Amino acid sequence: MSEWLESAITRAQGINDWLTPKRAHALDLLANTKWPTRKTEAWRYTPLRPVERTQAKVMSDKFNLLPVAITDLSAIEVVFANGQFDQAQLAQTLPEGLSIALGGDLNSAQQADALNAFSTIKPERHIFGLINDALAQDVVVVSVAEGVEIAQPVRISTLLSQGSESHTRVQVVLGAGSKLTVIEDVQAQGDSLNTAFVEYDIAAKAHLEHYRFALQTGSNVAIGGSHFNLHDHAKMHSTIIGFGSELSRLDTDIIHAGEFADAKLNAMYLLDGKELFDLHATVEHAMPNGKTEENVRCIVADRARAIFNGRIHIHRDAQKTLAELNNRNLLLSDKAEINTKPELEIYADDVKCAHGATVAQIDKQALYYLQTRGVSRSKAQVMLNFGFINELIDLMPNAALAEWVRPIIRERFAQMEVK
Amino acid sequence: MSNTNSLLTIKDLHASVEEKQIIKGLDLDIKPGEVHAIMGPNGAGKSTLGYVLSGRDSYSVDSGSVTLDGEDLLEMETEDRARAGLFLAFQYPVEIPGVSNLEFLKASVDAQRQARGEEAITSADFLKEAKAACKQVNLPVAFLKRGVNEGFSGGEKKRNELMQMLLLKPKLCILDETDSGLDIDALQIVAEGVNSQRSADRSFIVVTHYQRLLDYIKPDFVHVLSDGKIVKSGDASLALELEAQGYSWLQKEPVEDELEG
Repeated sequence: MSEWLESAITRAQGINDWLTPKRAHALDLLANTKWPTRKTEAWRYTPLRPVERTQAKVMSDKFNLLPVAITDLSAIEVVFANGQFDQAQLAQTLPEGLSIALGGDLNSAQQADALNAFSTIKPERHIFGLINDALAQDVVVVSVAEGVEIAQPVRISTLLSQGSESHTRVQVVLGAGSKLTVIEDVQAQGDSLNTAFVEYDIAAKAHLEHYRFALQTGSNVAIGGSHFNLHDHAKMHSTIIGFGSELSRLDTDIIHAGEFADAKLNAMYLLDGKELFDLHATVEHAMPNGKTEENVRCIVADRARAIFNGRIHIHRDAQKTLAELNNRNLLLSDKAEINTKPELEIYADDVKCAHGATVAQIDKQALYYLQTRGVSRSKAQVMLNFGFINELIDLMPNAALAEWVRPIIRERFAQMEVK
Repeated sequence: MSNTNSLLTIKDLHASVEEKQIIKGLDLDIKPGEVHAIMGPNGAGKSTLGYVLSGRDSYSVDSGSVTLDGEDLLEMETEDRARAGLFLAFQYPVEIPGVSNLEFLKASVDAQRQARGEEAITSADFLKEAKAACKQVNLPVAFLKRGVNEGFSGGEKKRNELMQMLLLKPKLCILDETDSGLDIDALQIVAEGVNSQRSADRSFIVVTHYQRLLDYIKPDFVHVLSDGKIVKSGDASLALELEAQGYSWLQKEPVEDELEG
């Protein structure tokens, strides 16, 4: 076991609050979990040295950290500054049918519900999920009442100042037939470490539009997860955009717990320098008639490293499942690295399931075509790389967010050198 | 038979792709304002000529020379050939999802204006021009926002090529089987677009398998390309002759009947 984990466990043992039963359970599991090494399959390409060596410390000061503004988008802001929920940044009045509160502030009935739901969607195999269970300062609970459609997006920002360590946790509960957009965003200054986990329970016929951005992570160690539980006829559309960092690891789990659920996941990451980004996406089709479509695209420049593990598990009863996983990768340098592994486990016989993974250099025909119109080779390369990602940006349901992120990505490409 | 007034002069060109010789001693001379049709059977090297002139990777020139406006074309990068005024309308234009048609057109026009030392065009002015070009080739304006050629029908792709030609205003346009896969209405639109661009300082090479296109785009010269060489040249009436008799009689003709363009 690493020293870092030992100290984390010691710190967690000192916490006594409403989450204590859950924390104790996580600590029990952690006591029997081996610290991952290169031999641990889920961490094979992602060494944990940056965690072992981190100097990041939990800070009690919020340093007036503010989330970056998103042009033309007014969101309901849920802000964690250095791990602490900043109540002052939450709107005084929320739309009818939406409630956002710290678990510790809930009445006893609500708190009992939150406690019961805690860590039921996030699988126990995520070691940092367990660490988050044990160390999260509290849980922010976001819930939408049955049948209510909330037009304004809720943005959950995890903000860290230099050298800060934070563990943030959110539960999002969508009542039957409700609709909500959630944006998860990490903005971290250097040498910080954070774990950020969100669990989504999407009731029958409810619809979640989800975004997870990691665009300001730099030398941050960013570990987290978004975990979704879909009931009958529930729908989700998720977009993940990551720029990588010293260590970025994201686990997503999509669980089809009801029939006729529909999940879409579009993830893209653009890595430069010595950055690393590791996405482990798991889909569990436990019930019949579910539908999943995943598109994961990755561009890796310089000496950066991308890891993608896409697992689709179709259980024996999940007949008539439609599942598709498409992973495409572009390498911009011969020192860049991509490790991709689609895993399909199918135990039902009447399903349609397709997967594909490609690693390629740039499309030479397209490059030639652009050059025949007078566009220089280098500019054409940037255009094609951008196009590769832009295809997924075009699919973002929220136009304001797409327009906001497009120039940020363009800027990123201008910096990424083609070698 | 080049002279200083020529726009394009090709002399004894030999070119190959993946070590297979395709062009085997081709001569052609084109003056400003002329329209030359190149006809020939499949596999004669018609498309290869366009690829070689535009500098496509994997198409290599073994010997011979090509000058555009007196400049050595073969020494230039593909993009510099375009900036020098060469335009190739592809038989099968590439689809580029994620890159919008408008962005692509603007980048092309910007690159060429910059190379000529002209001022950059504003986005608003360019949009106006692009919309007008759309109208001229009968493509809905919405096609500007779509990915380059993405999901376009064969005819739409050809019209998109034509639209690029209208915006780029090249000196020499090579139309590579622009008529293939077009119905008669689409063919007329394309031909009208081409005819509207004919001028004293713009030349065309119209590559086609069939005479039909030449009913609409009247060539000044017709050349027959067979096995990598021009085996016969004539005026527009040669195309009609070919239509009636096919190509086989030409392929068997003795060497002394070869003519230069």
